[in-house]
Amino acid sequence: MSSKKVKVTDMSNNKGQLTELNPADFLPLPPPYDKLELEPKMKPLTPDQKQRYECDLDGIAAVMIPRPKSDEEKKILVDKFLSGLTKLFNKEDNWTFIQALLLTMEYCAKCQTCSTACPIFEESGGKEIYRPSYRADIMRRLYKKYIKPGGKVFTKLTGDDIDVNWEMIARLAELTYRCTLCRRCAQTCPIGADNGLVTHELRKIFSQEMGIAVKQLHEVGSVQHIQKGSSTGMTPLAFKDNVEFMEDEVKERTGMDFKWPIDKVGADVLLLHNAGEFLAWPENPEAFAIILEAAGISYTLSSDLLGYDGVNYGLWYDDVQLARVALKHIETAKKLGVRKIVLGECGHSHKALTVIADRILTGDYNIPRESSLTLLADIVKSGRLKLDKSRNEDIYVTLHDPCNVVRLMGIVKPQREILRAIAPKFREMTPHGVENYCCGGGSGFAIMPNTNFPDWRHSVAGRKKLRQVLDVFQDVIGPEHKKYVCAPCSNCKGQIRELFSAYGVFERCNILYGGLVELIVNAMTDIEKPFLEWDWH
Amino acid sequence: MPIFEQGEVKINVDEDGFMEEPDQWNEKVALALASTEGVDNLTENHWKVVNYLREYYQKYGIAPMIRKLCKETGFSLKEIYDMFPSGPAKGACKVAGLAKPTGCV
Repeated sequence: MSSKKVKVTDMSNNKGQLTELNPADFLPLPPPYDKLELEPKMKPLTPDQKQRYECDLDGIAAVMIPRPKSDEEKKILVDKFLSGLTKLFNKEDNWTFIQALLLTMEYCAKCQTCSTACPIFEESGGKEIYRPSYRADIMRRLYKKYIKPGGKVFTKLTGDDIDVNWEMIARLAELTYRCTLCRRCAQTCPIGADNGLVTHELRKIFSQEMGIAVKQLHEVGSVQHIQKGSSTGMTPLAFKDNVEFMEDEVKERTGMDFKWPIDKVGADVLLLHNAGEFLAWPENPEAFAIILEAAGISYTLSSDLLGYDGVNYGLWYDDVQLARVALKHIETAKKLGVRKIVLGECGHSHKALTVIADRILTGDYNIPRESSLTLLADIVKSGRLKLDKSRNEDIYVTLHDPCNVVRLMGIVKPQREILRAIAPKFREMTPHGVENYCCGGGSGFAIMPNTNFPDWRHSVAGRKKLRQVLDVFQDVIGPEHKKYVCAPCSNCKGQIRELFSAYGVFERCNILYGGLVELIVNAMTDIEKPFLEWDWH
Repeated sequence: MPIFEQGEVKINVDEDGFMEEPDQWNEKVALALASTEGVDNLTENHWKVVNYLREYYQKYGIAPMIRKLCKETGFSLKEIYDMFPSGPAKGACKVAGLAKPTGCV
């Protein structure tokens, strides 16, 4: 079962688990994690879980696909998969992405530049199944066999054949959740093939055609978002209760006593937060409220269903869910008559509403959308806030670039202009900006707690980010120095929290993580007490 | 769907041991679930946390903000971790029969 020998055709075999994962194979980390005993354990699935869920790719059950009970059931699933595959290459069914997908299917020079760019492939110690071109090669064979005319005969002659059976499909479903859609591979490809898109399109077959999706992304994700108003399950009533609580907290922490604008018709800006912030990191929306109040920005929050939760999980696996949620967000803005929507510190909501949904937001639905990072940079540069950077002087700060905001949208400078104005000990990771590495929690990973998948997410998907953080702080790595990873994205924060917790990074190295606005408020001279609380959270 | 059984208690739970039907919760269920969290006895302080969580959940259909839980019960986050070693969300909410937290939390 040596991973080096795994071929694309092995996906269809019935010999059980294709690849073994052993932490000793992963790339060694910098000090103090250069000892294997500090590596978190990876739990194997229980015999019962193995029996119930598909896990023959690498022993991980991220999607928790129930094993079919009969050959009949398998056949139905195989047929649905092939029907979904056909739809991906049909303009009427997939007008959004077909062009980029076809280009990727037609062109690949097999140069493997993508593989050298992929943090998961590299950090896993080069496991063949995680190679970006491995997944794309499977898709390309499917395309050649089932979509191209005469493909079934032709692929046999060219050696591009692939057996499509349930074993292959089940492994492929799991394999689409071993890629964070960071699209570093697409960025580096000399001919513009997009292997990240391949993952995305495959996930669509599973969700849109076969009803196979990760429960946290779909059932208690985008479906719950539409039904209850938020993927967290937060109702409008709970949202208002949370805002009242945060207003009280702001008063206690800063002495500033003001009401947060909710449902204010005619405000300039609708501020759309990721609702996870209210529950897990309320200091983030609190800091936003403080800054916007102090800068005199005309804005409002919304208490409409979906209007207080800017997430859009469909982005990661299902175009239909993506469109449903994006339209609701725009309708909220229309109802309030705002001039633009500003997205809080949430990377995937940036990508969903500003870039991907753009093609369905035409006419009066085309309300301008802006990143909060540019708005915040304007505020900081305008001099409307009284800031004293020495208030952040004792903290070494580095910046994590969320893939969706930075690589995808090219927003690189604003967050750096802000940090240079408020954090004297700001230093850059290598690489950074559009060449950044994913936190390891992208494409929904950060909220997928199923079975032993979190172990994989910490040890493999997040390994590159942990390495970068340790490297950038290596000269001050001891716990006597305060260090802060500024990650302006809820999803990245969730992943960094879990990653740091798995490795004990706060306790061992005194590295905290958090958003950008908290650091800005920490530098505001009108506020007596430090805003940052140096506690693990 | 896994079934959790202990004494008279028999309930459907998810992979992480959270109740699938929170309506089936009662004090015996709480005690049984607590034992899976390494909590052998529910003291008055434990009940204060559990009862607040249930009260809030019944009113709003979701768990309260962790900061709010601390403030309303008067316990620090550390004290809650001391009582429920897996923490407020994974430990205390489970004992109180709440659904597992979802979304980017």
